[in-house]
Amino acid sequence: MTRTSGWCSTPLADALADARRSGRTIVVPYLLVDRRRRARLALTVRALRDAGATALELGYPFSDPIADGPVLAAAADRALGDGTDWSDLVRSVRTASPVLPTAVMTYANPVVRHGLVRALAELASAGASGLIVPDLSLEESLPWQRASQRVGLSLVLMAAPGASADRAARIARASRGFLYLVAYYGTTGRASEGPAADLGPIVTAVRRAAPDRPILLGFGVRDRRSAERALALGVDGVVVGTALEEAIARDPSPRALGDWLREIAAARRAPAVG
Amino acid sequence: MGTARRYGPYGGSFVPETLVPALDELDRVWRTARGDPAFRRELARLSRSFGGRPTPLYFARNLTRRGRGAEIWLKREDLVHGGAHKFNNALGQGLLTVRMGKPRLIAETGAGQHGVATAMVGAALGLETEVFMGEVDMDRQKPNVDRMHLLGAKVIPVTTGRRTLKDAINAALRDWIANVRTTHYLIGSAVGPYPFPAIVADFQSVIGREIRRQSLAEFGRLPDLAIACVGGGSNAIGTFHPLLRTRVELLGVEAGGPRGSRGAASLTYGRPGVLHGSFSYLLQNDDGQVSDTESVSAGLDYAGVGPEHSWLKETGRARYIAVHDEDALRAFHWLAEDEGILPALEPSHALFAAVREARRRPNQRIVVTLSGRGDKDLGVVLDAAR
Repeated sequence: MTRTSGWCSTPLADALADARRSGRTIVVPYLLVDRRRRARLALTVRALRDAGATALELGYPFSDPIADGPVLAAAADRALGDGTDWSDLVRSVRTASPVLPTAVMTYANPVVRHGLVRALAELASAGASGLIVPDLSLEESLPWQRASQRVGLSLVLMAAPGASADRAARIARASRGFLYLVAYYGTTGRASEGPAADLGPIVTAVRRAAPDRPILLGFGVRDRRSAERALALGVDGVVVGTALEEAIARDPSPRALGDWLREIAAARRAPAVG
Repeated sequence: MGTARRYGPYGGSFVPETLVPALDELDRVWRTARGDPAFRRELARLSRSFGGRPTPLYFARNLTRRGRGAEIWLKREDLVHGGAHKFNNALGQGLLTVRMGKPRLIAETGAGQHGVATAMVGAALGLETEVFMGEVDMDRQKPNVDRMHLLGAKVIPVTTGRRTLKDAINAALRDWIANVRTTHYLIGSAVGPYPFPAIVADFQSVIGREIRRQSLAEFGRLPDLAIACVGGGSNAIGTFHPLLRTRVELLGVEAGGPRGSRGAASLTYGRPGVLHGSFSYLLQNDDGQVSDTESVSAGLDYAGVGPEHSWLKETGRARYIAVHDEDALRAFHWLAEDEGILPALEPSHALFAAVREARRRPNQRIVVTLSGRGDKDLGVVLDAAR
């Protein structure tokens, strides 16, 4: 078994690697699965793709989403109140994955409850190509890495401010598909927070440890300006979650969401000075 | 040594990456401190002079008559400063916070006892203190809300979910993620990611150590059975730990809630899962969503349980049962009228089990950890009596 960085090819990993090679800004919108919104999902995902999304993150609601701020926590509450369950996630993956490479974002417990290997196999056979688990630390991730590899999912790990260069490097080497870089100390969706000051050295450490791994910045990215601030750190793209949830609350029509995402996808890295 | 990351398959640290450096630092500082005689001296000195330790082991003569069997002895943690065992852990972690150089403490609280203990320790050690408490609990444990305010802590009402202990922990974890560089999250129960369950067991083990010593002094041997109530399980793990390698039977008593419900009895009715950073028994639905819980006692009203209890259950070293609300309330009145002691509703669950066990055990001795006093519960008890 070789352990080169490209050893696990999935639609998610390939799409992001392609985008990165061609210098396009990677944009991954996050949609929370909600039974009441399932009928509209196909149109929404197509609109997001046409507006420049590189891949999609489908979030599974959880009763105790400790990494989420008020907007996404309330959305999860609402989705569970709507009766959303695992079958909605699997169906949503089936709907979305033919349109955009799809990663599932779920807290650990629903997967544990359904059985690690069984749950991951079910998601993979529905068409998912990535998995993101916000409460899975590197220390707990080994069985998840093995199970993901077995069923053909890219297990995306998160690095966060405060990580030492050594830890960031270990996370980067273990992560597949891309590295999810958390922008600041806090939960999702804090509009006022810019990226934390100590992210620079983390980006450097990740680049050194896994030169081919795309890095996406998530948490607090809400418009073109904040996306460009992220790109200025040297990352390859962004994940947008809370702001998309807010955009859906304002106007859920595919056209409005497409227009909204196009603005973010237009973000470009400022040419390096000097 | 109680410093393992896992208890069998249980425990671990399922946390957002942002918290990992803080958990590592806490682990390091705690391990250094436990080997440092100066730290141990300071902890012992403040436990004695500020906390009122050691607490007595009391022979409950009249309750024993009611049981008509085994002798019932009470470990009087209700006499610790603040009125509950929560002080033991709050003091220990407070001293660790000072060592880490962090100026701010946050805590969750259900019954309010841990919030009060944290507020006291925060005041004494000069640490800014904020306590997260569900709105439902603030209402049913009002005296403790007032005490926290008077002790200089800020109480932050939690309005999400069922507005009880689980939601307060969620809110505290979110605050910690945002302020982890300046803040220590002083978890009050034997739950959470490693190293919290081990640290809480360490600081609460003073209960079981004193039980050992006092039993030998009072009746010349160890008790046959030790009983403690279990929500997250901190007073129980403190009671059990020093007795693990003895022949003493261990019984944990969970909140059974109203008759016909699962209450908050995660070990009795739950299945293993991940909540608040560790893998342990959990009340959840088939889809892995955490269930709502129900108990007359705010301190036991929690869907999860400390991971070491899951392991003690699985290995059979400890046994766990559930006692319903109305039986806990009966035991509250027994202790008040038989012994002149108002117990908190949490240990009232354990007291009911003790009397029931006593009936089957003539010539044995039972020690029950009376983890807190009942002043905070008068409203609930009087309402229930109407």
